[in-house]
Amino acid sequence: MRLPYYPGCTLYTKAKPLNETIRSCFNIVGVELDELPHWYCCGTTFTLARDNRMSLIAPLRILTKAQQEGKQVLVPCSICYNTLKRANFIFSEDREALDIINEHLEEKYDGKEEVIHPLEFIRDNQDMIRNKLKKPLSGLKVGCYYGCLLLRPAEEMKFDDPESPSIFEDFVRLLGGEPVEFALKVECCGSYLVVNTPDAAVNASYKVIKNARENGADALVTTCPLCFYNLDALQTKIRQQYPDFKDMPIFYFSQLLALALGVDENGLQLGQNRVSPEIVLKKYGLL
Amino acid sequence: MITKLNIDKEFKRKIAEISNQRISDCYQCGRCTAGCPFAMFMDSPPNQVIRLIQLGMREEVLKAQGPWFCAACLVCQTRCPKGVDIPRVMEAVRVIHLRAKECILDIPQIDYEYMLDLPPLALMSAFSKFSF
Repeated sequence: MRLPYYPGCTLYTKAKPLNETIRSCFNIVGVELDELPHWYCCGTTFTLARDNRMSLIAPLRILTKAQQEGKQVLVPCSICYNTLKRANFIFSEDREALDIINEHLEEKYDGKEEVIHPLEFIRDNQDMIRNKLKKPLSGLKVGCYYGCLLLRPAEEMKFDDPESPSIFEDFVRLLGGEPVEFALKVECCGSYLVVNTPDAAVNASYKVIKNARENGADALVTTCPLCFYNLDALQTKIRQQYPDFKDMPIFYFSQLLALALGVDENGLQLGQNRVSPEIVLKKYGLL
Repeated sequence: MITKLNIDKEFKRKIAEISNQRISDCYQCGRCTAGCPFAMFMDSPPNQVIRLIQLGMREEVLKAQGPWFCAACLVCQTRCPKGVDIPRVMEAVRVIHLRAKECILDIPQIDYEYMLDLPPLALMSAFSKFSF
């Protein structure tokens, strides 16, 4: 089985572990990822100004590339996924917008490509994973942090319930881990506010991690490279501002998947996680 | 203070046009502000910004810091009982500043080491929301 794949900018730079573990996991379960040729930036973030069609050009060019490769395109980064899916929603609802942009481009987009996230692919192909499980994550208590962009706006993303989703918990259960419920799993981590008002992101990430800790989580798992940065890299700043704070390791969902599929320690790429997950993983005999 | 002098009906229409939202639908229940993770950083939280727009108080809206602390997390959009897409309204306020060439994020002023440490999508997102 082959699947077109759009990594996006950050998966080649700061989120290499996400890119590499996704690739090795899909390889193990027998899905070959065809990276789109000559891809560009997805045009993040999705513009909310309805009178701006310029910003739809970048997503449209990617979707055009994708439609030449196959009916679905796999996008692991939450922000790219959100941008492409929302643009795609406009192209399917507003034919006029699509026609106007198509008119200016050499390659035309038909508006029919489906943007899918690896968590959706796994939900629909659970046996593929189950048959290859080597090391179930027994005992590991994981808080599934959805963040914002996978879920909202619900009527366009159609990913899961925006207030009480469960697809991520089902994923952790599939790997043999114990998902931990916590209220702030759908709350914002501070997103791009980290660039010019880091205090807002420090405060938001502190609340998320604290809430997960209070509900018994050993670690948090996320899909988004920006959530990962805010939750992981900002912990140094969080500690300075909130003396009661206790560290918590953060994983990309694909790192846990790779672990359960028996990828070796090198392949897990845990070295880039600033809060070391070693103690937690050793506690459950997973490393 | 509201006087005839500071009411700008054209402003409300402009915001409605950019955001494609019916601002008058808001009946000030405050659910957006209650759920907003960043309301504590805002001088005018989301429901107040909407109210100021309803009243046509252009100057007050353009002075408000609220829209610059909106991370477009869309919690308020999910919870608004009247279906007002508040993040689109916040974006409209930001866009009015940016189209007038008022840049909020001074890119050369970002600490170089910090910039190298940030993931590219954080920078791309901040550039697209806070600069032109």
